[in-house]
Amino acid sequence: MKLSLDFGVVFPVLVAGRLLVALTNISDALKHDHQLSTPLTSYLNLQEGIYLFKNGIDPYSGGVFRHSPLFLALFTTVLPTSRTVSSIVWTLSDAIGAWALVQIWRARQRVAQTSRDGLIAAIYLLNPYIFMSTLSLSTSPFENTLALVSFMFATQGLVSPSLLAAALLLQLSLSSILLLAPLIMLLASSPVSQLASPRAFSGNGKKMAPLVAEFAAYTAVLTLASALVSGGWAWVPQTWGASLTLPDLTPNCGLWWYFFTEMFDYFRPFFLMVFSIHLLIYIVPVCIKFQYDPLYAGFILLGILSSFKSYPTMADQGLFLSMIALFPETYPYLRYPIVTTLLHLHAALLMPLFHHLWLNQGTANANFFYASTLVYACANGAALTDCLWAGLRIAIGEPQEGFVVAQE
Amino acid sequence: MDRIRALLRPAGDRNLNRLHRRQALVSVFMRHIQLIKITLFCLGYLWMLALPSPRLGRGTYIDENALGPGQVNTRWNWGDVANADRYLEQLEGLRDSNATSEQHAKAIMTEFTKLGIPASTQNYVFTSSTGKLEGTNAYAVLSSPRTSGTEAMVISASRISRVGEGDGTPNLRGVATVLALANFLKRYSLWAKDIVFVVSDNYVDGMQAWLNAYHGEAQSNLQAEELELASGVIWTALNIDYPGHSFSHLGIFHEGINGRLPNQDLLNSFHHISRWTGGVPVLVYDHLESHQSHIPSWIPRSLHQEIRQYNYRSKNVFRHIGYQARGRGSGVHGLFHQFRIDAFTMFGVPANGPHGFHSIGRVVESTLRTTNNLLERLHASFFFYILTTPERFLKIGSFLPSAVLISVAMMFGGLKLWSDSAWIPAATVQLEKEGDGEGSKWIQRSRPVIPVLGMMLSTHILGGILYSVLTTSWFSNNQTVASALLFLPVATLPLCALLVPSQDTRIVAPVSQLLKALNLCFASTVISITTVANFSLAMSLAILLGIPLSISSPSQSLPLRVIKYAAYIGLGLGWIFAGEELRKALWDWEILRVWFAPFVCAVYTPLVLQAGLVCLLPV
Repeated sequence: MKLSLDFGVVFPVLVAGRLLVALTNISDALKHDHQLSTPLTSYLNLQEGIYLFKNGIDPYSGGVFRHSPLFLALFTTVLPTSRTVSSIVWTLSDAIGAWALVQIWRARQRVAQTSRDGLIAAIYLLNPYIFMSTLSLSTSPFENTLALVSFMFATQGLVSPSLLAAALLLQLSLSSILLLAPLIMLLASSPVSQLASPRAFSGNGKKMAPLVAEFAAYTAVLTLASALVSGGWAWVPQTWGASLTLPDLTPNCGLWWYFFTEMFDYFRPFFLMVFSIHLLIYIVPVCIKFQYDPLYAGFILLGILSSFKSYPTMADQGLFLSMIALFPETYPYLRYPIVTTLLHLHAALLMPLFHHLWLNQGTANANFFYASTLVYACANGAALTDCLWAGLRIAIGEPQEGFVVAQE
Repeated sequence: MDRIRALLRPAGDRNLNRLHRRQALVSVFMRHIQLIKITLFCLGYLWMLALPSPRLGRGTYIDENALGPGQVNTRWNWGDVANADRYLEQLEGLRDSNATSEQHAKAIMTEFTKLGIPASTQNYVFTSSTGKLEGTNAYAVLSSPRTSGTEAMVISASRISRVGEGDGTPNLRGVATVLALANFLKRYSLWAKDIVFVVSDNYVDGMQAWLNAYHGEAQSNLQAEELELASGVIWTALNIDYPGHSFSHLGIFHEGINGRLPNQDLLNSFHHISRWTGGVPVLVYDHLESHQSHIPSWIPRSLHQEIRQYNYRSKNVFRHIGYQARGRGSGVHGLFHQFRIDAFTMFGVPANGPHGFHSIGRVVESTLRTTNNLLERLHASFFFYILTTPERFLKIGSFLPSAVLISVAMMFGGLKLWSDSAWIPAATVQLEKEGDGEGSKWIQRSRPVIPVLGMMLSTHILGGILYSVLTTSWFSNNQTVASALLFLPVATLPLCALLVPSQDTRIVAPVSQLLKALNLCFASTVISITTVANFSLAMSLAILLGIPLSISSPSQSLPLRVIKYAAYIGLGLGWIFAGEELRKALWDWEILRVWFAPFVCAVYTPLVLQAGLVCLLPV
């Protein structure tokens, strides 16, 4: 039985199907869900901010609204904020994301069309983590889309659009700065898979400095634009600052919130610094190790980001999992894909259950939900380390009888 | 010393040693996996058998110090008993004149109003596939003299007692107690919370309508009048069930719908108060401890006491599992839990004496004084327990592992099959005759996961369709015929699997093996996750699925395949012929939103069907 997965058929059908689901009332049930949206991405907070903004009150003065001013600009001028339009916009954003993923795949294979295109689009559009986040109207699917679009332009060699998308992404989420290094490397080299034949960085190192400068210029312009929109700089501590100082301890699927609810106040600054810097230390080693394949480095960094950033949603991990589809050459070297899958299955069932037991039924407490987010973190970690292993292992070649590859 | 050092740091390449160590460990594990699995199964099942043992579990205690149970002087006295008797006479008059629900409710409302307590009635209609269900509730709100009415406690009685799970015995004395309590409680100014009196119609549906209206919850098949009187957040609810003339014990009924339990502190406080303030012995359910049970004489006398205790406790545990696994509440109180209200039913076990209105009034008064003390929610750790007797209970740690062990055994089985399916011994392939003698060479083969997942998904969709047919009015109107009509297509459809062609197992892993591996993994996940939500359900699943799913296997001969499949169909779909039980489960789902019926259709039956498919598929 050979499934015909023609991209031209699969893609419109899936998008139409998702649109149908998005237009039902499901989002009303999901928009309060803590695993799908955080204070930084919640639709309810966004609406609140837009309302305040329209009525001439500074939305950043209250400590509720933590979205970028660019969202304010977008939703108060171009886009209406009705539920139906929002559902359509959010679904379209995912459609663009899926399309970008397929474009990345095509660029990586250096062909105009492959038989896997439909499958890759389906893996993105049907990924429950992403799908549910979109249904909950959290803004994190926008971040996913921007990340993918930026990588897409980078694989196609379009420097300015790629850097502009990355600069926009930075406006929405400060921690996405992690992706800058692999993106620049990708722009300076090629997206074709080099995993099996590692070599020194092939790109032109001198090209990178202007790229960084261009990115900085875009960021500066966008930052100024944000300041103009919101009429001041109050948005900086409320949006970017929030992901560093963690003012809102609403539970989410990440590892930060519980840790900081339990902490004595005088340790807070120190551990905030440790947690934030912890994210940064991965950039250099990953980029050095995968210097021959910056796209893979970016993929790994996305996985790290989705596990360890301050306000993650399930959509972040969804992006990482869906991107595995881009690297089929590593599949034979994955060591325990079934364990990872089962861990994710457990986490995906346990988190809503414990969340419900704690906050709806009241028969459990925060520790239960935190335990389930630890299972989720284990699942993320398992996926990440296995992908890391497979990406490195592939370079050593097919397994030989009587030889074992070991890690020192 | 050197020997120890040599042991800790053997000579040779460190990495090589590490690899050898790891290989040795894995191979030991893999060689003994069957043994480990069997051990885990045995441990799990034995643990389940040991749950009623008097050696397991610990004595109950009260965790929340603020409750201070039994530390007040009760003022309920014989005058109040006389009041209750007068109310009882009126209710008996209504019963004898065959009054309608509405008349009943109006009469009760009038009595509340006479006392000067604001009261009202509420009409409701449920429409289900079995027809309409109408009734009228009466309720009254006694505003607390001390606070602003943001918090409330409920005293309730349903008009039909829980005897025979609501077989129609009227709860006259329960209702009379509520009325007399209203008369009594309004005289005191020490209430920190509003007291809401509810006399709900029928057995459970009246309270469901009332609670939905109180909390503004919409239910598509319920048309209920809005409540005219409102109060604050309800914290606790005491449901009084007193069907007989007198009672000898007060029984605790605590299971809520969907396997929810009330906080144990509430039950423990009640037990303490009933025992020491009311002087009434307490039971779990209505099981009297019998000291005369027959024990064969060959068992040494020293063990008799323990066996008797085991017997008694196992009755309680069985009853608990029966309620909780089916998600069925053991009384009207079960509906409160869905709104985070701790509630239980105190059931006057019918007897010729010695207790009556005097005792129950005092117990309720003192229990109310205790719940009146509450300043915050009761502690979260006290929601997971099994009461084996009123004085002893099992903590979560002493019952949860039993089901988890079974689930782990299934997971090991599934993972072993999964990793096995990737390899085939080179000896059976015989691609080359190099004379490797031992046949130690293994050749890798591919594992087509997508068709297997498709099969699993289709069984779940089949379960979903089955469920949607079950909830139609066509099914409930002609159940006996419809059961057979429904059974046939669901049972025969998977037989299509016989047509699946046999594949070359040298390059592709057999579908049956993969299906079994994933089936075991998924079933294990379902069991281990359900343990926290509803332990009794998880335990039942572990018993019903554990061994059967692990022994499913394909075979060569066609008759054998079909026979095995038939056995699985019996296990997974036999319930469709359990007429009364099925009707009740569907009613529970439609009226009370108990998700047991959809769960069985969409999760349990498909899992067993998958095991049946494993037997049908080619080797």
